[in-house]
Amino acid sequence: MGDKFSAFSKNHILDIYKIVMGILLATGFVVSVIGVDGMLTTILWSTIGALLFAGMIFLVIKQHLLPYLIKRFMEAGVTLLVIVTLVFLLLRLMPGGPFDSERALPAEVMANIAAKYKLDAPLLEQYTHYLGNLLKGDLGESYKYLGRPVSSIISDTFPVSLQLGVYALILSYLIGIPLGVIAASKHNTWVDTGSMFLAMGGVTLPSFLVASLFILIFSFQFQILPPALWEGPLYYILPVVTLGIRPAAIIARLTRSSVLDVIRSDFVRTARAKGLAERVVLFKHVLRNSLIPVLTYSGPLIADIISGAFIIEIIFAVPGMGRHLILSVTNRDYPLVLGVALLFSVLLVVSNLLVDIFYAIVDPRIKLAA
Amino acid sequence: MNLLLKSSLYTLSLTALIFTTSCTKTASDKTLKFGVKKSETLIVNLQTEPPSLDWNKSTDTTSSEVQGNIMEGLAQFDLADPELKALPALATKWESDKAVQKWTFELRTDVKWTDGVEFDAQQVVDGWERLLNPKTAAEYSYFLYNVKNAKAYNEGKIKDFSQVGIKTVGKHKLEVQLESPMSFFPSLLVHHSTYPVRKDLIEKHGDKWTEAGNMVTLGAYKLMKWEHDEAILLERNDAYFGEKAKTKYVLGRMITEQSSAINAFDAGEIDVIPELPSNDVSILKQRPEYQKQNGLIVYYYGFNTKQKPFDNLDFRKAVAMAIDKKEITKVLGQDDVTATSWVPKGMMGHEEEMGIKFDPAKAKEHMAKAGYADATKVPKITITFNTNENHKKVAENVQAQLKRNLGINIEILNEEWKVYLSKLKSKKGYSIFRMGWVADYPDPDNFLNLLTSTSANNHTGWKSEKYDSLIAKGVSELNSDKRKEYYKEAQKLVLEEDVAAVPLYYSIRQYLINSRVSGFKLNPLDEKDYKSVMVK
Repeated sequence: MGDKFSAFSKNHILDIYKIVMGILLATGFVVSVIGVDGMLTTILWSTIGALLFAGMIFLVIKQHLLPYLIKRFMEAGVTLLVIVTLVFLLLRLMPGGPFDSERALPAEVMANIAAKYKLDAPLLEQYTHYLGNLLKGDLGESYKYLGRPVSSIISDTFPVSLQLGVYALILSYLIGIPLGVIAASKHNTWVDTGSMFLAMGGVTLPSFLVASLFILIFSFQFQILPPALWEGPLYYILPVVTLGIRPAAIIARLTRSSVLDVIRSDFVRTARAKGLAERVVLFKHVLRNSLIPVLTYSGPLIADIISGAFIIEIIFAVPGMGRHLILSVTNRDYPLVLGVALLFSVLLVVSNLLVDIFYAIVDPRIKLAA
Repeated sequence: MNLLLKSSLYTLSLTALIFTTSCTKTASDKTLKFGVKKSETLIVNLQTEPPSLDWNKSTDTTSSEVQGNIMEGLAQFDLADPELKALPALATKWESDKAVQKWTFELRTDVKWTDGVEFDAQQVVDGWERLLNPKTAAEYSYFLYNVKNAKAYNEGKIKDFSQVGIKTVGKHKLEVQLESPMSFFPSLLVHHSTYPVRKDLIEKHGDKWTEAGNMVTLGAYKLMKWEHDEAILLERNDAYFGEKAKTKYVLGRMITEQSSAINAFDAGEIDVIPELPSNDVSILKQRPEYQKQNGLIVYYYGFNTKQKPFDNLDFRKAVAMAIDKKEITKVLGQDDVTATSWVPKGMMGHEEEMGIKFDPAKAKEHMAKAGYADATKVPKITITFNTNENHKKVAENVQAQLKRNLGINIEILNEEWKVYLSKLKSKKGYSIFRMGWVADYPDPDNFLNLLTSTSANNHTGWKSEKYDSLIAKGVSELNSDKRKEYYKEAQKLVLEEDVAAVPLYYSIRQYLINSRVSGFKLNPLDEKDYKSVMVK
């Protein structure tokens, strides 16, 4: 199994690549959590990004994925166009305009505003104008945050959401996978029942309740963690844990059932019969083969965690994109709603694509074809 | 078990690592965001990212809170005066001709912007030009519509700004020509939309002129840092022409969710909370940090007089008489003041004896007079309001009162804010609506203009020429006793005789202020003036 597993193992350059990536990612993570500001973090993450990209390119060429990718990108383009069109139309259908306020404005003032934002033009013209700008990479200016481009609102807030999401994601794998493996390896013992009971709790408890409980316990009872804001590692703990609990629980349950499936298969029996240590059997033979369902779930999970973080962001006053997700609609801030919707769509499409490519790495039996 | 032990050890050590590295960093000193010391910093909650610090364009209270501390207008309100009269600020004095149509303003000569440039009259003219320029598309441009030709310039009918009635007379003097007499014109010059601007800098930086680093102001504080959607830092302006600010820094946080803000307050991350969640007020009221202040805010119910049954005067009277306002403020439980006149308590034009009194017996008589002796015959009535906990409490209470006192069945309907506004705009589909008005400036005209026939905010469908003319007379009258008379008559007309609307209560403002803060002066205009605040 081990030999067939990776297309890279014969190539030393790629072994080095994997090791370097691992070290870089680990340092990158630690540096970001501790909050080292400035050049170091930027350089580190850009190197990781560049290496990742290079790796992807290599993979694409090696596995002849280019036609497949082109097809997927074209599909994604169509999806995004449909989304933009639908959101654009739905926004215009919603009652109430962006500049309706408690203080109704005189008609003359409204006319100036409509002219400035081209809201007085026919709908089709507004639409083509928007699309034209979009192709140039211009998402327009917010109607609420006057003079502030949507792209800068996104670039100010999205990294924070991403940071929160990525930490929660890592946390959920760190907890979920070991928990699932342990539960499966101690099948039908108190360890199994206990950890699955915990996981059930994690899945069913709503995050706002968990958040309130955590704040009550850790911020006010023990006074060790701040109840709100995003100003350093201490501040990260509660939101990250709250956000990570649910996916961790889901991953634990998925891993457990998948491990249970694999553990009963013939090659595991063979491995045990060879006299391998249980640890080696479990990690080298069972775990690797049980991760496919977990990987399948990761695509939607990534998008879910990052977009679903808005409740957590609001409760813990994390300055991410969450509030814009809701408030832009309340404010009828058309360009911002469109920008946010577009970003989340891209995120979803890209994370699903990445998962599909990872399939090909983890399981050579899967063929991605155009 | 070995495995279990190992993995938990591994997780534990990772957490411990994160913990220790971070604890040592934050616990050793009280350094806040942006590296400022807590002992030198007042921490406030702005509640949201300021939508725009561009004072010509912004329309919201968060932006004006920041603007008011980094800038100054030609005038300011005398918060110690019961009528909140305008006092000189950037202007040293002003006077009008007898017709109250031509005003001259003398300006201070000792004021410098934070980049060292001298303040002069041309900058005021530039500010007004920018406010009125149709390309700016400023929502508050109508504030200056009474300046000669200002409206035409804003509509694009006049291209030449020199035809608009404002001009400099020398370096530090201004002359303003109005379309029609306006006694309270200086009050408008307190408003942020009329502040002077630095045209050179706006041309240089474009929309980015309000960013930290670009922004040049002349108030008690200056903008140091602005991390969008997260925090803003103001620092004392040592070149300020007035009394210098007592606290070196003001850190403005942007916590939207009220209960999260209270958590942050309890954790010492915020010193001042300007608004409390209505459901928690009864508990928060007991706390020593709680403070309250009457606001210049009227909360009212308006009738759609174009629709049955509210097209009938007697029916309107009946409904108005069947509402006991005391019950409403009791249900809300936040010590709001029951309303009498349209103009709230604490400013000129307020009347203690005004409006229809609660009288259920007489209400029934009016019902009968209106032809609805049998309450089941009353057409369907809906109280519409925008979704909000307090509005719901009020609507449910009024619903219950009208059922009890008149036997009418009323539906209540909540709607999302913008949907609600577009409904009011269409003037259809509602019989009773809720609305509120917060003073832009403490002059009765700001409140009473709302019910004139030309006001876009008049959602009642009620119109009266007599009322319009009384309001117009009030605007041009300089003698305040005479003005009061006009306004009294106008309010009597709309509230007692024609009953187009019922003011229910004047809202109070509620705060939590940490005990380390002193000198935070609450005032009815809710001006948050940081310069007199001290922190321990």
